[in-house]
Amino acid sequence: MAYVSNMVLEVFTVAIWEKKSMLWCSCLMPVLLWWSTEAWAGGVQYELRVDGLACPFCSYGIEKKFKKTPGVTGIEFDLERGLVIVRTAEGVELSEERLQQIVADSGFTLRGVKRRLLESP
Amino acid sequence: MNRAGRGAATGAGMRVTRALLLLAVVLPLAACAWFPMEKEPPYRLVLSWGGLGETPGRFNEPTGIAVHAGEVFVSDARNARIQVFDFEGRFLRQFGTPGEGPGQLGRPMNLTIAGGELYVADYWNDRIQVYSLAGEFRRSVGESGSGPGQFDAPGGVAVAGNGDLFVADFYNQRVQRLRPDGRFVRQWGETRRPGWRAGYFSYPTDVAVAGDGSLYVADGYNDRVQVFAADGRLLRKWGGPFALNIHGSFRGWFATVTSIALGPGGEVFVADFYNDRVQKFTSQGEFLTAFGSAPSGASHTAMAVAVAADGTVFVANLDAHRVERWQQPVATR
Repeated sequence: MAYVSNMVLEVFTVAIWEKKSMLWCSCLMPVLLWWSTEAWAGGVQYELRVDGLACPFCSYGIEKKFKKTPGVTGIEFDLERGLVIVRTAEGVELSEERLQQIVADSGFTLRGVKRRLLESP
Repeated sequence: MNRAGRGAATGAGMRVTRALLLLAVVLPLAACAWFPMEKEPPYRLVLSWGGLGETPGRFNEPTGIAVHAGEVFVSDARNARIQVFDFEGRFLRQFGTPGEGPGQLGRPMNLTIAGGELYVADYWNDRIQVYSLAGEFRRSVGESGSGPGQFDAPGGVAVAGNGDLFVADFYNQRVQRLRPDGRFVRQWGETRRPGWRAGYFSYPTDVAVAGDGSLYVADGYNDRVQVFAADGRLLRKWGGPFALNIHGSFRGWFATVTSIALGPGGEVFVADFYNDRVQKFTSQGEFLTAFGSAPSGASHTAMAVAVAADGTVFVANLDAHRVERWQQPVATR
């Protein structure tokens, strides 16, 4: 739902901007901004599939790099499924390239990413 | 068949014969070198203690271990503390709290005791922290970075006879030698460039120094041990065929080396993490025996190893959050 909201927000903003209607802009922007904030309120959860997490030198290395990444609020490991679960604060998105870079800096290869918007608390 | 044809056939036959003879010589040699037999009986597990938890005597991921004068020091990584026990597993004391301040710990990893002090590789805080054996914080060496004397996730530390430190600088792909106050002396490996050639490292995890000053490096992801002379020359390396980052579960092969310790007779004990075993070698790299516990969870058991003066071996079992005491069976007539 939140993802759809963001898509709608983007389409609306572009449409309004292209028509150059300042009235529309001034009326709708606050509403759209509020909508946008609501849609992102709970942050994002990323499930990163990474091989070789069992070794603490590896998992602590990933944890260390993500701890230094602004906006990251939590990191967990699911060794059974080979997943690093990263949560971000509201309004913070990490691009796949950024995730790939952090995982590569930790000495791993990112095998896949699942992204899920979190409900606001 | 004419004479020329017969000559060519004979030549080809000779080449095949020579190749077969060569294989007959090389294969048994390779088999002896790469698939060695056990030369000692395996150790047996005599005691274990701990279990997952936060209370004294329990662990949340033990990642380092050291022994001294009847006491066992354990890095309790996720609890950000060091716990101390006697050889029977009785809890004696603990120190360290989570944080970045002096004496606080990020993720404590491999440990070393030298000169009556405990050296802790503080993986998250990029420093070596030094404590008295009673647990009082003494000093800290190093800081974050990749310059001389700086660290990016130190995994293990060893102390030379003159007090110099050797540090396995994990993400910087090197081993540094530093003066006791942290001044840089030299390094092995190329900073931040992993490599499999001799003298290069791929995520070094631990180090140990022998009485003659030779340096033993647990070359983590290269699945091998490299040994350097006191003057810095590479002496030898072992672990799989040609020690060229070929991992496996055969005797003498490794699958990620996470800790290294020297026995009272100079024997080398290596924590072979993904193979859930400790392997024992002579100082020359000749395989002697292997032992370990099977994992019950999703992790692995042989994380760190330490050897007491009487040859008793202590292992930090990551998977079971326990410490294990292993002993060699007493020879009987």
